[in-house]
Amino acid sequence: MTAKPYIQRQPAGWWLKSSAYRRYMLREATALPIFLYCLLLISGLYQLTQGEAAFLDWLQVLRSPWVIALHVVAFAAALFHAWTWIELVPKILVVHTSRFTLSPQLIKRVHQGGALACFVGLIGLAVLLLTRATTGAG
Amino acid sequence: MSRSNEPIVWSLFGAGGMILAFLAPAMIVITGFLLPFYFADRPQDVYRGMSQFLANPFAQLFLLAFIALSLYHAAHRLYHGMHDLHVHGPRIAMLLLFYGGATVLTGICAILLLRLG
Amino acid sequence: MSDSITLHISRYRPEQDDAPWVQSYEIPYHRDTSVLEALNYIKDHLDPSLSHRWSCRMAICGSCGVMINDEPSLSCKSFLRDYIAAGELHVRAMENFPIERDLVSDLGGFIDHLKTVQPYLMREQDKPTSEGEYLQTPHEMGRYKAFSQCINCGLCYAACPQFGRNPEFLGPAALTLAQRYNLDSRDEGQSQRMAHLNEEEGVWSCTFVGHCSAVCPKDVDPAAAINQGKVASTVNYGLNLLNLIRGKHDG
Repeated sequence: MTAKPYIQRQPAGWWLKSSAYRRYMLREATALPIFLYCLLLISGLYQLTQGEAAFLDWLQVLRSPWVIALHVVAFAAALFHAWTWIELVPKILVVHTSRFTLSPQLIKRVHQGGALACFVGLIGLAVLLLTRATTGAG
Repeated sequence: MSRSNEPIVWSLFGAGGMILAFLAPAMIVITGFLLPFYFADRPQDVYRGMSQFLANPFAQLFLLAFIALSLYHAAHRLYHGMHDLHVHGPRIAMLLLFYGGATVLTGICAILLLRLG
Repeated sequence: MSDSITLHISRYRPEQDDAPWVQSYEIPYHRDTSVLEALNYIKDHLDPSLSHRWSCRMAICGSCGVMINDEPSLSCKSFLRDYIAAGELHVRAMENFPIERDLVSDLGGFIDHLKTVQPYLMREQDKPTSEGEYLQTPHEMGRYKAFSQCINCGLCYAACPQFGRNPEFLGPAALTLAQRYNLDSRDEGQSQRMAHLNEEEGVWSCTFVGHCSAVCPKDVDPAAAINQGKVASTVNYGLNLLNLIRGKHDG
Protein backbone atom coordinates (compact mmCIF):
# COMPACT_ATOMS: atom_id res chain seq x y z
CA MET A 1 0.00 0.00 0.00
CA THR A 2 1.69 3.17 -1.21
CA ALA A 3 1.96 6.27 0.94
CA LYS A 4 0.47 8.43 -1.79
CA PRO A 5 -2.27 6.67 -3.74
CA TYR A 6 -3.95 8.75 -6.40
CA ILE A 7 -7.60 9.15 -5.43
CA GLN A 8 -9.88 9.21 -8.47
CA ARG A 9 -12.91 11.40 -7.90
CA GLN A 10 -16.08 10.93 -9.87
CA PRO A 11 -16.78 14.00 -12.05
CA ALA A 12 -20.35 15.29 -12.31
CA GLY A 13 -20.34 14.39 -15.99
CA TRP A 14 -19.35 10.77 -15.38
CA TRP A 15 -22.39 9.48 -17.24
CA LEU A 16 -21.49 11.22 -20.48
CA LYS A 17 -18.49 8.92 -20.89
CA SER A 18 -20.13 5.75 -22.18
CA SER A 19 -23.25 4.76 -24.08
CA ALA A 20 -24.21 2.39 -21.26
CA TYR A 21 -24.23 5.22 -18.74
CA ARG A 22 -26.07 7.58 -21.10
CA ARG A 23 -28.71 4.94 -21.70
CA TYR A 24 -29.13 4.55 -17.92
CA MET A 25 -29.59 8.30 -17.44
CA LEU A 26 -32.10 8.40 -20.29
CA ARG A 27 -34.02 5.60 -18.60
CA GLU A 28 -34.09 7.54 -15.34
CA ALA A 29 -34.99 10.73 -17.19
CA THR A 30 -38.23 9.16 -18.44
CA ALA A 31 -39.52 10.07 -14.99
CA LEU A 32 -39.73 13.72 -15.99
CA PRO A 33 -42.23 13.48 -18.87
CA ILE A 34 -44.17 10.92 -16.83
CA PHE A 35 -44.35 13.38 -13.94
CA LEU A 36 -45.54 16.16 -16.24
CA TYR A 37 -48.14 13.82 -17.69
CA CYS A 38 -49.45 13.09 -14.19
CA LEU A 39 -49.80 16.82 -13.63
CA LEU A 40 -51.81 16.98 -16.86
CA LEU A 41 -54.10 14.18 -15.66
CA ILE A 42 -54.67 15.95 -12.34
CA SER A 43 -55.47 19.17 -14.18
CA GLY A 44 -58.00 17.27 -16.27
CA LEU A 45 -59.56 15.81 -13.14
CA TYR A 46 -59.85 19.28 -11.69
CA GLN A 47 -61.53 20.66 -14.81
CA LEU A 48 -63.90 17.68 -14.73
CA THR A 49 -65.01 18.67 -11.21
CA GLN A 50 -65.65 22.21 -12.46
CA GLY A 51 -68.34 21.16 -14.93
CA GLU A 52 -68.86 20.72 -18.63
CA ALA A 53 -67.62 24.09 -19.88
CA ALA A 54 -64.36 23.79 -17.92
CA PHE A 55 -63.81 20.24 -19.15
CA LEU A 56 -64.45 21.22 -22.77
CA ASP A 57 -61.83 23.93 -22.35
CA TRP A 58 -59.44 21.26 -21.12
CA LEU A 59 -60.16 19.12 -24.19
CA GLN A 60 -59.26 22.18 -26.24
CA VAL A 61 -55.97 22.45 -24.33
CA LEU A 62 -55.27 18.82 -25.24
CA ARG A 63 -55.25 19.96 -28.88
CA SER A 64 -52.63 22.66 -28.36
CA PRO A 65 -49.15 22.07 -29.84
CA TRP A 66 -47.32 22.01 -26.50
CA VAL A 67 -49.64 19.40 -25.05
CA ILE A 68 -49.42 17.29 -28.19
CA ALA A 69 -45.63 17.50 -27.89
CA LEU A 70 -45.85 16.47 -24.22
CA HIS A 71 -47.91 13.44 -25.22
CA VAL A 72 -45.42 12.45 -27.92
CA VAL A 73 -42.49 12.74 -25.53
CA ALA A 74 -44.39 11.03 -22.71
CA PHE A 75 -45.40 8.20 -25.04
CA ALA A 76 -41.80 7.64 -26.09
CA ALA A 77 -40.73 7.81 -22.44
CA ALA A 78 -43.44 5.34 -21.41
CA LEU A 79 -42.40 2.90 -24.14
CA PHE A 80 -38.71 3.17 -23.25
CA HIS A 81 -39.57 2.74 -19.58
CA ALA A 82 -41.77 -0.29 -20.27
CA TRP A 83 -39.14 -1.90 -22.50
CA THR A 84 -36.25 -1.43 -20.07
CA TRP A 85 -38.41 -2.29 -17.05
CA ILE A 86 -39.59 -5.61 -18.48
CA GLU A 87 -35.99 -6.45 -19.45
CA LEU A 88 -35.10 -6.23 -15.75
CA VAL A 89 -38.11 -8.13 -14.36
CA PRO A 90 -36.56 -11.61 -14.98
CA LYS A 91 -33.52 -10.60 -12.94
CA ILE A 92 -35.67 -10.13 -9.84
CA LEU A 93 -38.50 -12.55 -10.54
CA VAL A 94 -36.57 -15.80 -10.28
CA VAL A 95 -38.70 -18.96 -10.18
CA HIS A 96 -36.43 -21.90 -9.38
CA THR A 97 -38.33 -24.48 -7.36
CA SER A 98 -37.61 -28.15 -6.88
CA ARG A 99 -40.36 -28.98 -9.38
CA PHE A 100 -39.72 -26.49 -12.16
CA THR A 101 -37.71 -23.51 -13.31
CA LEU A 102 -39.11 -20.66 -15.37
CA SER A 103 -36.68 -19.37 -17.95
CA PRO A 104 -35.92 -15.63 -17.84
CA GLN A 105 -36.86 -15.43 -21.52
CA LEU A 106 -40.32 -16.85 -20.77
CA ILE A 107 -40.88 -14.40 -17.93
CA LYS A 108 -39.87 -11.53 -20.19
CA ARG A 109 -42.14 -12.61 -23.04
CA VAL A 110 -45.11 -13.10 -20.68
CA HIS A 111 -44.67 -9.56 -19.37
CA GLN A 112 -44.24 -8.13 -22.87
CA GLY A 113 -47.38 -9.97 -23.98
CA GLY A 114 -49.26 -8.74 -20.94
CA ALA A 115 -48.18 -5.16 -21.56
CA LEU A 116 -49.27 -5.37 -25.19
CA ALA A 117 -52.60 -6.90 -24.16
CA CYS A 118 -53.17 -4.13 -21.62
CA PHE A 119 -52.31 -1.50 -24.23
CA VAL A 120 -54.85 -2.84 -26.70
CA GLY A 121 -57.37 -3.68 -23.98
CA LEU A 122 -57.35 -0.32 -22.20
CA ILE A 123 -57.63 1.65 -25.44
CA GLY A 124 -60.40 -0.68 -26.62
CA LEU A 125 -62.22 -0.23 -23.32
CA ALA A 126 -61.92 3.56 -23.56
CA VAL A 127 -63.28 3.58 -27.12
CA LEU A 128 -66.14 1.32 -26.00
CA LEU A 129 -67.07 3.45 -22.97
CA LEU A 130 -66.92 6.73 -24.86
CA THR A 131 -68.82 5.36 -27.86
CA ARG A 132 -71.58 4.12 -25.53
CA ALA A 133 -71.69 7.60 -24.02
CA THR A 134 -72.25 9.17 -27.42
CA THR A 135 -75.20 6.88 -28.18
CA GLY A 136 -76.72 7.83 -24.84
CA ALA A 137 -76.58 4.27 -23.52
CA GLY A 138 -75.16 3.41 -20.07
CA MET B 1 -25.96 -0.39 12.28
CA SER B 2 -28.80 1.64 10.84
CA ARG B 3 -31.44 -0.03 8.74
CA SER B 4 -32.38 2.03 5.70
CA ASN B 5 -36.01 3.01 5.11
CA GLU B 6 -35.61 2.70 1.36
CA PRO B 7 -37.82 -0.44 1.22
CA ILE B 8 -40.91 1.74 1.66
CA VAL B 9 -40.22 4.02 -1.28
CA TRP B 10 -38.72 1.21 -3.33
CA SER B 11 -41.95 -0.78 -3.01
CA LEU B 12 -43.94 2.23 -4.21
CA PHE B 13 -41.39 2.74 -6.99
CA GLY B 14 -41.70 -0.89 -8.03
CA ALA B 15 -45.49 -0.89 -8.02
CA GLY B 16 -45.52 2.37 -9.97
CA GLY B 17 -43.03 1.00 -12.47
CA MET B 18 -45.20 -2.04 -13.15
CA ILE B 19 -48.36 0.04 -13.52
CA LEU B 20 -46.62 2.50 -15.82
CA ALA B 21 -45.17 -0.25 -17.98
CA PHE B 22 -48.56 -1.85 -18.46
CA LEU B 23 -50.91 1.14 -18.54
CA ALA B 24 -49.07 4.38 -19.32
CA PRO B 25 -48.79 3.95 -23.10
CA ALA B 26 -52.56 3.36 -23.36
CA MET B 27 -53.41 6.23 -21.01
CA ILE B 28 -51.27 8.57 -23.11
CA VAL B 29 -53.00 7.45 -26.29
CA ILE B 30 -56.36 8.02 -24.59
CA THR B 31 -55.68 11.58 -23.47
CA GLY B 32 -53.41 12.43 -26.36
CA PHE B 33 -55.43 11.06 -29.23
CA LEU B 34 -58.82 9.57 -28.28
CA LEU B 35 -60.24 12.38 -26.18
CA PRO B 36 -59.07 15.39 -28.20
CA PHE B 37 -59.03 13.96 -31.74
CA TYR B 38 -60.79 10.64 -32.20
CA PHE B 39 -63.91 11.97 -30.46
CA ALA B 40 -63.27 15.57 -31.54
CA ASP B 41 -66.75 16.03 -32.94
CA ARG B 42 -68.47 14.93 -29.72
CA PRO B 43 -66.85 16.75 -26.79
CA GLN B 44 -70.05 16.88 -24.75
CA ASP B 45 -70.35 13.14 -25.01
CA VAL B 46 -66.74 12.81 -23.92
CA TYR B 47 -67.61 14.90 -20.87
CA ARG B 48 -70.64 12.77 -20.15
CA GLY B 49 -68.70 9.57 -20.63
CA MET B 50 -65.83 10.64 -18.39
CA SER B 51 -68.23 11.89 -15.68
CA GLN B 52 -70.16 8.63 -15.72
CA PHE B 53 -66.98 6.55 -15.71
CA LEU B 54 -65.38 8.45 -12.82
CA ALA B 55 -68.58 8.42 -10.76
CA ASN B 56 -67.83 4.75 -10.23
CA PRO B 57 -65.69 4.13 -7.08
CA PHE B 58 -63.68 1.37 -8.80
CA ALA B 59 -62.80 3.72 -11.64
CA GLN B 60 -61.80 6.34 -9.06
CA LEU B 61 -59.59 3.81 -7.30
CA PHE B 62 -58.04 2.81 -10.59
CA LEU B 63 -57.19 6.38 -11.56
CA LEU B 64 -55.94 7.21 -8.06
CA ALA B 65 -53.70 4.15 -8.07
CA PHE B 66 -52.37 4.98 -11.52
CA ILE B 67 -51.61 8.61 -10.72
CA ALA B 68 -50.33 8.05 -7.17
CA LEU B 69 -48.00 5.15 -7.98
CA SER B 70 -46.75 6.91 -11.11
CA LEU B 71 -45.99 9.99 -9.02
CA TYR B 72 -44.05 7.99 -6.40
CA HIS B 73 -42.21 6.15 -9.16
CA ALA B 74 -41.24 9.43 -10.81
CA ALA B 75 -40.34 11.02 -7.46
CA HIS B 76 -38.03 8.11 -6.64
CA ARG B 77 -36.27 8.28 -9.99
CA LEU B 78 -35.93 12.07 -9.87
CA TYR B 79 -34.68 12.04 -6.25
CA HIS B 80 -31.97 9.47 -7.05
CA GLY B 81 -31.34 11.17 -10.38
CA MET B 82 -30.36 14.34 -8.55
CA HIS B 83 -27.83 12.26 -6.65
CA ASP B 84 -26.51 10.83 -9.94
CA LEU B 85 -26.15 14.34 -11.38
CA HIS B 86 -24.22 15.43 -8.28
CA VAL B 87 -26.98 17.95 -7.50
CA HIS B 88 -26.83 18.44 -3.76
CA GLY B 89 -29.31 19.63 -1.23
CA PRO B 90 -30.13 19.07 2.43
CA ARG B 91 -31.48 15.55 2.70
CA ILE B 92 -34.75 16.45 4.42
CA ALA B 93 -35.47 19.22 1.91
CA MET B 94 -34.87 16.88 -1.04
CA LEU B 95 -37.02 14.15 0.51
CA LEU B 96 -39.85 16.61 1.16
CA LEU B 97 -39.60 18.08 -2.32
CA PHE B 98 -39.83 14.78 -4.18
CA TYR B 99 -41.69 12.29 -1.98
CA GLY B 100 -43.54 15.00 -0.10
CA GLY B 101 -44.54 16.56 -3.39
CA ALA B 102 -45.81 13.22 -4.66
CA THR B 103 -47.82 12.81 -1.46
CA VAL B 104 -49.38 16.28 -1.75
CA LEU B 105 -50.32 15.69 -5.38
CA THR B 106 -51.78 12.29 -4.48
CA GLY B 107 -53.87 13.99 -1.80
CA ILE B 108 -55.13 16.57 -4.29
CA CYS B 109 -56.00 13.80 -6.72
CA ALA B 110 -57.91 11.89 -4.06
CA ILE B 111 -59.90 14.98 -3.09
CA LEU B 112 -60.78 15.69 -6.73
CA LEU B 113 -61.89 12.10 -7.29
CA LEU B 114 -64.06 12.14 -4.18
CA ARG B 115 -65.78 15.26 -5.55
CA LEU B 116 -66.69 13.37 -8.70
CA GLY B 117 -68.28 10.53 -6.77
CA MET C 1 -2.68 -4.87 -42.54
CA SER C 2 -0.81 -2.88 -39.97
CA ASP C 3 2.14 -4.48 -38.23
CA SER C 4 2.26 -2.10 -35.29
CA ILE C 5 -0.16 -0.61 -32.80
CA THR C 6 0.15 2.17 -30.22
CA LEU C 7 -0.77 1.78 -26.56
CA HIS C 8 -1.41 4.98 -24.59
CA ILE C 9 -0.83 3.96 -21.02
CA SER C 10 -1.64 5.94 -17.93
CA ARG C 11 1.43 6.19 -15.69
CA TYR C 12 1.58 7.20 -12.04
CA ARG C 13 4.66 7.05 -9.82
CA PRO C 14 3.72 8.15 -6.29
CA GLU C 15 7.32 9.14 -5.47
CA GLN C 16 7.49 11.52 -8.46
CA ASP C 17 4.00 12.33 -9.75
CA ASP C 18 1.05 14.26 -8.33
CA ALA C 19 -1.34 12.96 -10.95
CA PRO C 20 -1.43 10.30 -13.68
CA TRP C 21 -0.04 11.13 -17.13
CA VAL C 22 -0.04 9.28 -20.42
CA GLN C 23 2.93 7.52 -21.99
CA SER C 24 2.64 6.07 -25.49
CA TYR C 25 4.30 2.92 -26.73
CA GLU C 26 4.34 1.58 -30.27
CA ILE C 27 4.62 -2.19 -30.35
CA PRO C 28 4.48 -4.98 -32.95
CA TYR C 29 0.94 -6.06 -33.75
CA HIS C 30 -0.23 -9.63 -34.16
CA ARG C 31 -3.87 -10.67 -34.23
CA ASP C 32 -3.42 -13.19 -31.42
CA THR C 33 -1.76 -10.79 -28.98
CA SER C 34 -3.70 -10.02 -25.84
CA VAL C 35 -3.43 -6.62 -24.16
CA LEU C 36 -1.71 -8.38 -21.26
CA GLU C 37 0.90 -9.78 -23.63
CA ALA C 38 1.32 -6.27 -25.04
CA LEU C 39 1.90 -4.90 -21.51
CA ASN C 40 4.42 -7.68 -20.83
CA TYR C 41 6.16 -6.91 -24.13
CA ILE C 42 6.45 -3.26 -23.09
CA LYS C 43 7.84 -4.21 -19.70
CA ASP C 44 10.25 -6.77 -21.15
CA HIS C 45 11.54 -4.79 -24.12
CA LEU C 46 10.65 -1.11 -23.90
CA ASP C 47 10.08 0.12 -20.36
CA PRO C 48 10.81 -2.06 -17.31
CA SER C 49 9.33 0.62 -15.03
CA LEU C 50 5.76 -0.12 -16.11
CA SER C 51 3.80 -1.76 -13.29
CA HIS C 52 0.80 -3.97 -13.89
CA ARG C 53 -0.87 -6.95 -12.19
CA TRP C 54 -1.36 -10.30 -13.84
CA SER C 55 -1.09 -14.00 -13.11
CA CYS C 56 -3.05 -16.77 -14.80
CA ARG C 57 -3.40 -15.26 -18.31
CA MET C 58 -6.73 -17.06 -18.63
CA ALA C 59 -9.43 -14.92 -16.93
CA ILE C 60 -9.68 -16.96 -13.74
CA CYS C 61 -7.36 -15.30 -11.20
CA GLY C 62 -8.91 -11.84 -11.45
CA SER C 63 -5.56 -9.99 -11.23
CA CYS C 64 -5.36 -8.04 -14.50
CA GLY C 65 -8.34 -5.68 -14.36
CA VAL C 66 -7.77 -2.35 -16.14
CA MET C 67 -9.68 0.20 -18.19
CA ILE C 68 -9.24 -0.27 -21.93
CA ASN C 69 -10.75 2.62 -23.90
CA ASP C 70 -12.72 3.52 -20.75
CA GLU C 71 -14.26 0.05 -20.39
CA PRO C 72 -13.43 -2.18 -17.40
CA SER C 73 -11.65 -5.17 -18.93
CA LEU C 74 -9.30 -8.02 -18.10
CA SER C 75 -6.13 -7.36 -20.06
CA CYS C 76 -5.64 -11.11 -20.57
CA LYS C 77 -9.10 -11.38 -22.10
CA SER C 78 -8.79 -8.37 -24.40
CA PHE C 79 -7.10 -8.59 -27.76
CA LEU C 80 -5.20 -6.05 -29.86
CA ARG C 81 -7.15 -7.14 -32.93
CA ASP C 82 -10.25 -5.43 -31.51
CA TYR C 83 -8.43 -2.11 -31.50
CA ILE C 84 -6.29 -2.35 -34.63
CA ALA C 85 -8.89 -0.54 -36.74
CA ALA C 86 -8.20 2.59 -34.72
CA GLY C 87 -4.49 1.75 -34.60
CA GLU C 88 -4.34 2.63 -30.91
CA LEU C 89 -5.86 1.95 -27.52
CA HIS C 90 -5.90 3.65 -24.12
CA VAL C 91 -5.10 1.69 -20.99
CA ARG C 92 -5.40 3.02 -17.45
CA ALA C 93 -5.95 1.72 -13.94
CA MET C 94 -9.47 0.62 -13.00
CA GLU C 95 -11.93 3.43 -12.38
CA ASN C 96 -13.18 4.17 -8.85
CA PHE C 97 -10.22 2.63 -7.01
CA PRO C 98 -7.23 4.57 -5.67
CA ILE C 99 -4.24 4.16 -7.97
CA GLU C 100 -1.12 2.78 -6.28
CA ARG C 101 1.17 2.92 -9.30
CA ASP C 102 0.62 2.90 -13.07
CA LEU C 103 -2.02 0.22 -13.69
CA VAL C 104 -2.03 -1.14 -10.13
CA SER C 105 -5.09 -0.31 -8.02
CA ASP C 106 -5.56 -0.33 -4.25
CA LEU C 107 -8.17 -3.02 -3.70
CA GLY C 108 -8.05 -2.95 0.11
CA GLY C 109 -11.51 -1.39 0.43
CA PHE C 110 -12.93 -3.97 -1.95
CA ILE C 111 -11.48 -6.84 0.10
CA ASP C 112 -12.91 -5.29 3.27
CA HIS C 113 -16.36 -5.21 1.71
CA LEU C 114 -16.08 -8.90 0.79
CA LYS C 115 -15.22 -9.74 4.39
CA THR C 116 -18.10 -7.65 5.72
CA VAL C 117 -20.81 -9.90 4.28
CA GLN C 118 -19.48 -12.98 6.11
CA PRO C 119 -18.88 -15.02 2.96
CA TYR C 120 -18.81 -18.49 4.49
CA LEU C 121 -21.36 -21.07 5.50
CA MET C 122 -22.89 -20.26 8.86
CA ARG C 123 -24.88 -22.85 10.81
CA GLU C 124 -26.94 -22.57 14.00
CA GLN C 125 -25.07 -25.67 15.12
CA ASP C 126 -21.94 -26.72 13.29
CA LYS C 127 -22.19 -30.29 12.13
CA PRO C 128 -19.19 -32.39 13.23
CA THR C 129 -17.28 -33.99 10.37
CA SER C 130 -18.00 -37.41 11.85
CA GLU C 131 -21.63 -36.89 10.82
CA GLY C 132 -20.62 -36.61 7.19
CA GLU C 133 -20.98 -34.00 4.46
CA TYR C 134 -23.75 -31.48 3.96
CA LEU C 135 -25.85 -32.84 1.11
CA GLN C 136 -27.01 -30.61 -1.71
CA THR C 137 -28.82 -31.51 -4.90
CA PRO C 138 -27.67 -30.14 -8.27
CA HIS C 139 -30.94 -28.21 -8.34
CA GLU C 140 -30.18 -26.56 -5.02
CA MET C 141 -26.72 -25.65 -6.25
CA GLY C 142 -28.23 -24.24 -9.42
CA ARG C 143 -29.95 -21.53 -7.37
CA TYR C 144 -26.70 -19.81 -6.50
CA LYS C 145 -24.19 -21.23 -8.96
CA ALA C 146 -23.84 -18.19 -11.21
CA PHE C 147 -23.27 -16.00 -8.16
CA SER C 148 -20.46 -18.30 -6.99
CA GLN C 149 -18.38 -17.78 -10.13
CA CYS C 150 -16.91 -14.45 -9.06
CA ILE C 151 -13.15 -14.18 -9.49
CA ASN C 152 -12.86 -10.97 -7.44
CA CYS C 153 -11.41 -9.03 -10.35
CA GLY C 154 -13.08 -5.78 -9.33
CA LEU C 155 -14.29 -4.86 -12.84
CA CYS C 156 -17.84 -4.52 -11.51
CA TYR C 157 -16.64 -1.89 -9.03
CA ALA C 158 -14.88 -0.05 -11.84
CA ALA C 159 -18.15 -0.11 -13.74
CA CYS C 160 -20.38 0.96 -10.86
CA PRO C 161 -21.04 4.72 -10.68
CA GLN C 162 -22.62 4.38 -7.23
CA PHE C 163 -19.40 2.88 -5.88
CA GLY C 164 -17.51 5.58 -7.74
CA ARG C 165 -19.58 8.16 -5.89
CA ASN C 166 -19.36 6.45 -2.50
CA PRO C 167 -16.64 3.87 -1.74
CA GLU C 168 -18.56 2.91 1.41
CA PHE C 169 -21.12 1.18 -0.82
CA LEU C 170 -20.57 -2.56 -0.37
CA GLY C 171 -20.68 -2.91 -4.15
CA PRO C 172 -21.55 -5.60 -6.69
CA ALA C 173 -19.15 -8.42 -5.82
CA ALA C 174 -19.69 -8.25 -2.05
CA LEU C 175 -23.48 -8.07 -2.35
CA THR C 176 -23.47 -10.91 -4.87
CA LEU C 177 -21.37 -12.98 -2.49
CA ALA C 178 -23.92 -12.30 0.25
CA GLN C 179 -26.73 -13.43 -2.02
CA ARG C 180 -24.66 -16.49 -3.01
CA TYR C 181 -24.54 -17.62 0.61
CA ASN C 182 -28.12 -16.60 1.39
CA LEU C 183 -29.29 -18.82 -1.46
CA ASP C 184 -27.08 -21.74 -0.43
CA SER C 185 -29.24 -24.50 1.08
CA ARG C 186 -26.46 -25.44 3.47
CA ASP C 187 -26.31 -21.94 4.97
CA GLU C 188 -28.30 -20.70 7.97
CA GLY C 189 -26.71 -17.27 8.30
CA GLN C 190 -29.08 -15.11 6.26
CA SER C 191 -30.37 -13.15 9.24
CA GLN C 192 -26.82 -12.14 10.14
CA ARG C 193 -26.02 -10.99 6.63
CA MET C 194 -29.26 -9.03 6.30
CA ALA C 195 -28.00 -6.44 8.78
CA HIS C 196 -25.37 -5.37 6.24
CA LEU C 197 -27.67 -5.65 3.23
CA ASN C 198 -30.34 -3.53 4.93
CA GLU C 199 -28.10 -0.51 5.32
CA GLU C 200 -28.01 2.42 2.94
CA GLU C 201 -24.54 1.23 1.92
CA GLY C 202 -25.90 -2.27 1.46
CA VAL C 203 -28.23 -3.03 -1.41
CA TRP C 204 -29.91 0.37 -1.21
CA SER C 205 -27.14 2.36 -2.87
CA CYS C 206 -27.73 0.41 -6.07
CA THR C 207 -29.85 2.05 -8.77
CA PHE C 208 -29.69 -0.88 -11.20
CA VAL C 209 -27.44 0.79 -13.72
CA GLY C 210 -26.54 -2.77 -14.65
CA HIS C 211 -23.10 -2.02 -16.05
CA CYS C 212 -21.54 -4.33 -13.48
CA SER C 213 -23.22 -7.31 -15.11
CA ALA C 214 -22.27 -6.06 -18.57
CA VAL C 215 -18.54 -6.03 -17.78
CA CYS C 216 -18.35 -9.18 -15.63
CA PRO C 217 -15.97 -11.63 -17.36
CA LYS C 218 -17.61 -14.66 -15.71
CA ASP C 219 -21.31 -13.82 -16.34
CA VAL C 220 -22.01 -13.67 -12.62
CA ASP C 221 -24.78 -11.07 -13.12
CA PRO C 222 -24.19 -9.10 -9.90
CA ALA C 223 -26.99 -6.67 -10.81
CA ALA C 224 -29.49 -9.51 -10.54
CA ALA C 225 -28.05 -10.64 -7.21
CA ILE C 226 -28.18 -7.15 -5.68
CA ASN C 227 -31.74 -6.52 -6.78
CA GLN C 228 -32.83 -9.92 -5.51
CA GLY C 229 -31.19 -8.73 -2.32
CA LYS C 230 -33.45 -5.67 -2.39
CA VAL C 231 -36.48 -7.96 -2.42
CA ALA C 232 -35.04 -9.92 0.52
CA SER C 233 -34.27 -6.67 2.34
CA THR C 234 -37.80 -5.38 1.74
CA VAL C 235 -39.34 -8.59 3.08
CA ASN C 236 -36.99 -8.35 6.05
CA TYR C 237 -38.06 -4.74 6.61
CA GLY C 238 -41.74 -5.72 6.57
CA LEU C 239 -41.23 -8.62 8.98
CA ASN C 240 -39.23 -6.35 11.26
CA LEU C 241 -42.06 -3.80 11.19
CA LEU C 242 -44.51 -6.52 12.17
CA ASN C 243 -42.22 -7.53 15.01
CA LEU C 244 -41.95 -3.94 16.21
CA ILE C 245 -45.72 -3.62 16.17
CA ARG C 246 -45.94 -6.80 18.20
CA GLY C 247 -43.41 -5.35 20.64
CA LYS C 248 -40.35 -7.38 19.69
CA HIS C 249 -36.74 -6.24 19.10
CA ASP C 250 -35.21 -5.04 15.80
CA GLY C 251 -33.88 -8.21 14.19
